[in-house]
Amino acid sequence: MRFLSILLTSSVGLCGVASAQTAGKAIYDERCVQCHGVDGRGTGAAAPVLMPRPRDFAAAQFKLRTTETGSLPTDDDLIRTITYGVPGTSMPGWQKFLSTADIAAVTTYIKSFSTRFAAERPQSIPTVAASVPGAPTSQTIAAGKAVYEKLRCAACHGTDGRGAGAIATDLKDDAGRPLPATNLTEPWTFRGGATPQDVYLRFRTGMNGTPMPSFVTAASETELRNLAAYVLTLARKPVWEMTAEEVTAFYKAQAADAARDPVRHGRYIVSTIGCSFCHTPVRIDGSLVDGMLFAGGQKWTAAPFGDFVSYNLTSDKETGLGGWTDDQIKAAMTKGIRPDGSRMLPFPMPWPSYASLTEADLNAIVAYLRTVPPIANRIPAPARPNVVSYLWGKFQLLILKKDMPLVAYPGNAGSAGGV
Amino acid sequence: MNVRRAVKWTLGVLLVVAVVGFLAFLYFIPPFTLMAPEAFSGPEIAAANVVKLEAITDPKTRALAERGKYIVVATGCVDCHAPPSAAGPDFARYMAGGAKTAIRGHGTFVSANLTSDRQYGLGRRTDEDVLRVLRSGVSADAGRQLWYRDMPWAWVANWTEEDRVAVLTYLRQIPAIAHKIPPPSTEAAMTYDPAAIEQASTVNAGTTP
Repeated sequence: MRFLSILLTSSVGLCGVASAQTAGKAIYDERCVQCHGVDGRGTGAAAPVLMPRPRDFAAAQFKLRTTETGSLPTDDDLIRTITYGVPGTSMPGWQKFLSTADIAAVTTYIKSFSTRFAAERPQSIPTVAASVPGAPTSQTIAAGKAVYEKLRCAACHGTDGRGAGAIATDLKDDAGRPLPATNLTEPWTFRGGATPQDVYLRFRTGMNGTPMPSFVTAASETELRNLAAYVLTLARKPVWEMTAEEVTAFYKAQAADAARDPVRHGRYIVSTIGCSFCHTPVRIDGSLVDGMLFAGGQKWTAAPFGDFVSYNLTSDKETGLGGWTDDQIKAAMTKGIRPDGSRMLPFPMPWPSYASLTEADLNAIVAYLRTVPPIANRIPAPARPNVVSYLWGKFQLLILKKDMPLVAYPGNAGSAGGV
Repeated sequence: MNVRRAVKWTLGVLLVVAVVGFLAFLYFIPPFTLMAPEAFSGPEIAAANVVKLEAITDPKTRALAERGKYIVVATGCVDCHAPPSAAGPDFARYMAGGAKTAIRGHGTFVSANLTSDRQYGLGRRTDEDVLRVLRSGVSADAGRQLWYRDMPWAWVANWTEEDRVAVLTYLRQIPAIAHKIPPPSTEAAMTYDPAAIEQASTVNAGTTP
């Protein structure tokens, strides 16, 4: 009898999991795949340009946990992340759009991407329940500063906390992708939140999948709590809390920083202004081809003017920008003039917009593009239609007022092919 | 006799000249290769001047809006968010939206009205709604992500939160234009739709390089 009831309970439990998985899959496929991908590998269509990259659920390495280093997160950990989102990233909080039940269902589905969840139990850290820290005092902050030195936080985060320590430029995540050290002066970007408890938890549990280790064996709980108090004193004001004078001074300081490190600044502009939207091949499902970022090869038809293939922006000497001078790159970007003197249409390359970039920003962009690793991908010259079809197209466009839309094609029209 | 022949010849020559002239007109208009680059970039950049930032009394708002303007203009938001017209993008109705993009396998999308209009523009959105779209592509209406090949949110998501707030401050200054944008089509698959993609691959079979 007892055996039977156990059997019944467990099978009811299993059914519950199965239906939650189905419900979870429906939500996931509608809302999560563009970044995390249908297979949960964190390689969705838009993933290659996102900084940081979306989580790989199959690898099951989660940063934001209340569990021991290396351990799986608890369900509550995952639910918290889905509900409130991850600051400083594209992960939104879903509480406005999904019910508690929906979030629980999608959590169940996310766990199904890795066999680890079936095989292991999350190991919660013992102190998390009773962990309301007192308000920071000058003593705890001073003690925390000593811990910052003892644990050599500055090696990655820098003595000023701005994330520019000696080894910061070499940091990579478990997948081997560059991962900059967190800028500790901008707590609004702290992935796990910016309360003393949030910050303490990152030191205590580490951030799985990243170079940020757990310091549980290297420092006592009190030391880590003091460290959290100290780290939060490194914060500067965000612009939305500044006065007008402070905003002006901040922009001036930012420009000076950009001038000191044009490559970093150029990377920022290029990553936001959308170069890789066109200058990367896309697959038939619309996903960007990882590893071919900036290699060009996207074909566009601008009827009746012809076929245009996005250029290879990598530093490759033969087929990329490696053989172009700085002025040639800038003329193409701001005037639509190719090195051979020929002219671009004002679309699809939006050079009329880029004409408004400052000289300093243009130089930064060029400096960054020079550092993009070369990929050999020879881009065919624009294909013009013959005179008759050109005239016929112009007739349709100008006289018949026919709508002649731009058409973008998937695949790589460059010599590297392979898409 | 001579007069008739002369008339014939004149008419013939005129006809040939007219046809050649018409073809030449078609060939050279719009004369992309004959116009200065500034003829294209000038109007686009000037379009943003309908937003009178110098009239902002609060100096902090103005400083943020100036930064936001620089970002918005250089990013070329207006390339999609200007209403289309027979003569190209209608920069006079700055950021009033309505431009259509068709993406095979994913649907047809219409650019949003980014003006301060309280009924049809961003005027009806909270700050967080606007910031959320620019951070993660999640639209307030749909409660899910816009397709990134349409609204390229994945790039603007890389803006720092401080630049995003500057952009928001600028967008809030754009004069309202009542321009109704149809809601997203229900058939439009904004996310990965294997069936639609299957169809697209058939459609595109001949042109995929």
